Amino acid sequence: MSLLDALLLTALGTLIATLATVRTRWVGYVASLGLGLQLLVLFLLAPLGYGAPAVTSGLAWDLFGQPLVLRYDAMSWYFALITLGAGLVSSVYATGAWSDHYRAAGRSPGWLQFALALNVFTMLLLLASGDFLSLFIAWELVSWASFLLMALAAGPALKWSLRYITYATAGAMSMLAALGIVFHLTGSLNYADFMAAVDQWSVGLITLLTVLFGAGFAVKMGILPFHLWQAGAYAETPGPGMAFLGAISSRMGLYGMMLVWVQLIGLIRLIEVHIPLTFLSLRDVLMWIAAFTIILPTYTALKQNDARRLLAWHGIGQGGYMLMGILSASALGSAGGILHIFNYATNQAVLLLAVFAVVYRTGTADLNKLGGLFTRMPLTFVAMLVGIIGLAGIPPMNGFVSKWMVYRSLLSEGMPLLFVASVIGTLGTILSVYKLIHNTFLGQLRLEHEPVQEAPWSMVIPMMVLALIIFLTGFMPGIVLDWVAAVQAAVGLPVLPHTLGGVADAHGGLDMIMLVLVLFAGFGVSALLFYATGRSEPVHQLDNYAGGHFLSADVRYHYSDHFYAGLMHRIGHWYRGSFLWFESVVASLASFLAQWSATFYRLMQPALPMLAMAVIVLWMVS
Amino acid sequence: MSDLSKIPIHTEKHAPEEARTNPLAGVFDELVRFAQSRSMYMLHYCTGCGAIELPPAMTSRFDMERLGIQPMVTPRQADILLVTGYVSVKTLKRIILTYEQMPSPKYVIGICSCTVNGGMYWQSYATAKKLSEYLPVDLYIAGCMPRPEAVIEGMRALMANIQSGETEPWKDYYQRYDYYLGNQQHLFGDNWQTPTDVIGQAQHYGLAGPETEGEHTRILQQYQQPLVAHKLRLK
Repeated sequence: MSLLDALLLTALGTLIATLATVRTRWVGYVASLGLGLQLLVLFLLAPLGYGAPAVTSGLAWDLFGQPLVLRYDAMSWYFALITLGAGLVSSVYATGAWSDHYRAAGRSPGWLQFALALNVFTMLLLLASGDFLSLFIAWELVSWASFLLMALAAGPALKWSLRYITYATAGAMSMLAALGIVFHLTGSLNYADFMAAVDQWSVGLITLLTVLFGAGFAVKMGILPFHLWQAGAYAETPGPGMAFLGAISSRMGLYGMMLVWVQLIGLIRLIEVHIPLTFLSLRDVLMWIAAFTIILPTYTALKQNDARRLLAWHGIGQGGYMLMGILSASALGSAGGILHIFNYATNQAVLLLAVFAVVYRTGTADLNKLGGLFTRMPLTFVAMLVGIIGLAGIPPMNGFVSKWMVYRSLLSEGMPLLFVASVIGTLGTILSVYKLIHNTFLGQLRLEHEPVQEAPWSMVIPMMVLALIIFLTGFMPGIVLDWVAAVQAAVGLPVLPHTLGGVADAHGGLDMIMLVLVLFAGFGVSALLFYATGRSEPVHQLDNYAGGHFLSADVRYHYSDHFYAGLMHRIGHWYRGSFLWFESVVASLASFLAQWSATFYRLMQPALPMLAMAVIVLWMVS
Repeated sequence: MSDLSKIPIHTEKHAPEEARTNPLAGVFDELVRFAQSRSMYMLHYCTGCGAIELPPAMTSRFDMERLGIQPMVTPRQADILLVTGYVSVKTLKRIILTYEQMPSPKYVIGICSCTVNGGMYWQSYATAKKLSEYLPVDLYIAGCMPRPEAVIEGMRALMANIQSGETEPWKDYYQRYDYYLGNQQHLFGDNWQTPTDVIGQAQHYGLAGPETEGEHTRILQQYQQPLVAHKLRLK
């Protein structure tokens, strides 16, 4: 029995233990303990993260004559680390005071913990898949586990999770078609056979497989135009569940893309595929899709007034950076893309946990109904501040490192337009995260929020731990870059030469240790000036505004409604809801076809379409 | 009108302070005063028609910025309060609120005749006639209205005064707060108050004197509802 078996069995054991205690008050502790144990076993597997050869599970068995292989390599380990980290943090957060609150609202924290554990288990299984069949099975399991987590809070959540599962099923069908083609061509579902055969395949076939597999993964990842389900479905998921989903769940799509596009097909083949009548290769097209995935959802996030929606839309946008970095195929860019998975997961988790701490205390995530909470929830404010600095890609937090690497590679690889596109996306990110923290924590404290208190420790500690990780991996990105380099080696990308402080490059690398020290020296000088002179006098917010007006607390003078009115005056008319329109067109078309074919079956000879179907199936199988 | 003689005139010489032992202290003080006089942010509280002379004074034709004078948007960062025109009772409350929000050292300039003696609003029941009864005015720039040249001339006079250390009426507001508050209460009623703790600030600057507190501050304390800043709260 290998350590991988121990990991998967611990995950299964956690699932069973959570199910056994699902109605008790102990379920949160059980789930957190189980996830902690899994993380411990994963740490024992740590050599994988530094490039040790893949570990195979002894649990292999046959299905339909196909051997199911379970194995972990550096990429699986890296994703599993983020998955378990996010799962553990969310589970701890959901255990203490939050679960009492949740129970008091008539919900069951036990099922939430179970759904979390189930998601973690299925995702660990997906990461272990060593052939296409186990990949597909685990993929379906992940989809349905996510569906369970999303649908927990009935009501609008049900509508959104149904939308998700519709998309996910369509994506799975696309993958199944690809699997059929692969099986037809190679006669097996092994990765090795696929890699051996891919050399002889035509450009058209490679394009078809790239698109079919890609569509399945893109649904999970929320890549344009398959992104419409994600923000709503995530935003309706109960607190820590959303933090988990937002942090890592959709990155399973990216795992699939890295597996199939990068490792199995190879980016070089995508670069060789030229799109007729254009000067673009297939890789360029995918990169431009990634660029639009950055820009459009980020600017949709800018318009959201619900903090959860705002962050959920960012989740879609940030996925674009990762994909773009990886598709750039350079050592620096792909390392940036892979690193951004980790960095973004920490940022998104801490932001969502902070938002839900505010929801816990004030009962709302509506950015128009909050404000001035800084003095009431300072630790939550610090957590959110660290999170937005990271998400916006500003030093000294970790988000800066990965975004810098992606930008730098886009410039050095000669893709200035994509660089501009990603910078436009970053502008939207900065604007919208500023809106988030401003409307929540800055400005006028509402009268009804005067008695609000800091979130309980069970919620503050996970946030603080994440904030610390964000800072530390920004200060010393080499910690994560070690794992990233192993992932690059595992999937066949060029490996990035790196140091503890960042990137080693003769033409100008990045040394975050020096950068952060200089930054903090500047802060130190300012702090010295501020504290040494000792002349500050705290004044009330109401005594701090120009215009000479006598303000009172019951009047709102801090307008958060219709934030960025000036910007929206310029760009507001560009929001046309084209993707919603496209979605409704596809839905109408599908519904029309279904009705038409039902009528066709009833009116015509019922045997005829069955015969036609049989012929098609036989032709495909033969 | 007879009180006009009490208006501070910059030609008056103050008694020299007692000699300081550190010879460099004077150099440092002079340096600070020089810097202060060359970087003044003004809050132009445009109460009346005199405001119309400020845009030409600030913009390219007369260009106050060459003297280091710039407009500022908030009282918390401003050095000079320009009151440009007649001051109605309602406006005066806002002016006092704004003045007290400004950090010391701060200077008040009354522009136009209306701030000197009510000007053409002398007979108005709703107009405060003399600004210096309610606020310590550093300088009046009389005229109806004063031309930008006159405004700049006044500014230069203020700069000279700041540099020579002669003009410190802002201390007067702390030292004789009771007098100013009495005049304010006379106009606004006994329940008049601003959020600023002027007596506390006077003690902070070491300017609290025998006339800082008196019968009027006692009235103020009866009605005052202090506005305490939000404290960071962990629990």
